[in-house]
Amino acid sequence: MRMVNFRLPYNTGRIALVLAAVLLVGFLLLPSQLQGVFQEVGSPIGWVLSWPLRAAASVQEGIADFWGGFVALRGVAEENKELRKELEHLKGQNSQLREAAVATERLTALLEFKTRAELSMVAAQVIGRDTGNWYRTIILNKGESDGFKSDMGVITSAGVVGRIVKTTAATSVVLLVTDPNNAIAGLVQRTRDEGIVEGTTQGMARLKYIPLLSNARPGDRVVTSGLVGGFPRGLAIGTITRINKDEEALFQFAELTPDVDVGRVEEVLVIQSPNVQAEGEQLGVPAVRPKS
Amino acid sequence: MKMAVLATLIAGLVSVQSILLPHMMVWGVMPDIGLIAVCLVGLFGGELEGLLLGLALGWIMSLFSAADLATSMMTKGAVGYVAGLAGRHVVYLAPAVFVLWILAISCVAGLVTAALLNLSDQQDWWWAVRAVVAPQAVMDAVAGGALYWLLWSRLNIERWVSEYRT
Repeated sequence: MRMVNFRLPYNTGRIALVLAAVLLVGFLLLPSQLQGVFQEVGSPIGWVLSWPLRAAASVQEGIADFWGGFVALRGVAEENKELRKELEHLKGQNSQLREAAVATERLTALLEFKTRAELSMVAAQVIGRDTGNWYRTIILNKGESDGFKSDMGVITSAGVVGRIVKTTAATSVVLLVTDPNNAIAGLVQRTRDEGIVEGTTQGMARLKYIPLLSNARPGDRVVTSGLVGGFPRGLAIGTITRINKDEEALFQFAELTPDVDVGRVEEVLVIQSPNVQAEGEQLGVPAVRPKS
Repeated sequence: MKMAVLATLIAGLVSVQSILLPHMMVWGVMPDIGLIAVCLVGLFGGELEGLLLGLALGWIMSLFSAADLATSMMTKGAVGYVAGLAGRHVVYLAPAVFVLWILAISCVAGLVTAALLNLSDQQDWWWAVRAVVAPQAVMDAVAGGALYWLLWSRLNIERWVSEYRT
């Protein structure tokens, strides 16, 4: 069997070792500058890699559809063997039509919301998730070439999804609202108490720095305050499920259930003009919410 | 040819890691197949091949993650280099030993990553070990061990290794 020789010539090896040492020293001495350079250089590589990513995402979607149909058809076959063939055909068609209907409903909701919000927003598709286990992120199929930048807000018609933290020419990485490293300025819609929304390690969210005298309670809705970050005022974030008051603490915090099921989001809108102040409070809860 | 093989390997690994593996998460954790690949290439190819693939894979994988570039590059580069050094001094590696080795190296890489990443105050050391490092190390060991066993039992890995080393 003919093998590919991965071994490098001795000189190349020495150069590679020196290069690695220089990189290590560089990252220690100039961490942000060097990372900026690598991010810039990586942008076209990200564009190239976005194609296999998109292809793999399409294949995965196809397999998921096929698998969903297969499982459904097995159930039907067990119930009624005589009608199996006919049911297989109909189920397959039905599955495809349902998928198309759900996608249409979702996209219609996004379009309606986009029109109503009067913000400059661009739709994007989710093509992947974080390559590591430390952060909760999604990867979008659009990047710098579509005008996406770091800190831009990402939403669906149901509410806030997260914010962009990294971009390449053709992809963007969105840190989800449920990640503990995310921070979004929010306020309790009923009491007008402001705070910071961050994710939790359990995959939920919490509103920090609520004043002790606040009478926020479970069931209250939390929306973006629009003070900082890439979000206008009034976009839905979640609903308070529990208030935590420590005896000696200066503030209380509220546990939230995010309005968006970030584990199942497929299409999103990226807010490109965060400084445009929409009639936030008038937006309220969107009339049509995507089915997840 | 070598560059084409490595570029294809990297593109394939990134696609699988970001699209396929998130559907196979157990307790919110998935194996790091980039780390396993770097270990295998380091063991069979040598320390420099491991180092270079580790640096490249760490860099490109971090483009599709919120993690910073330096941590991922340096961790995977170091893992590749150490794997290469280990491969140079080991004549034969049984699958069971490889599993233990991956378990150990994944634990060390995970702990180093936890120390270098600027994580939130909720994500302390205990959380990092319990929620990410330990489960990921177990998954890496299982996935890496299965892959190594496949190579060892089906593809005559010993001949590969001896060919590469001569």
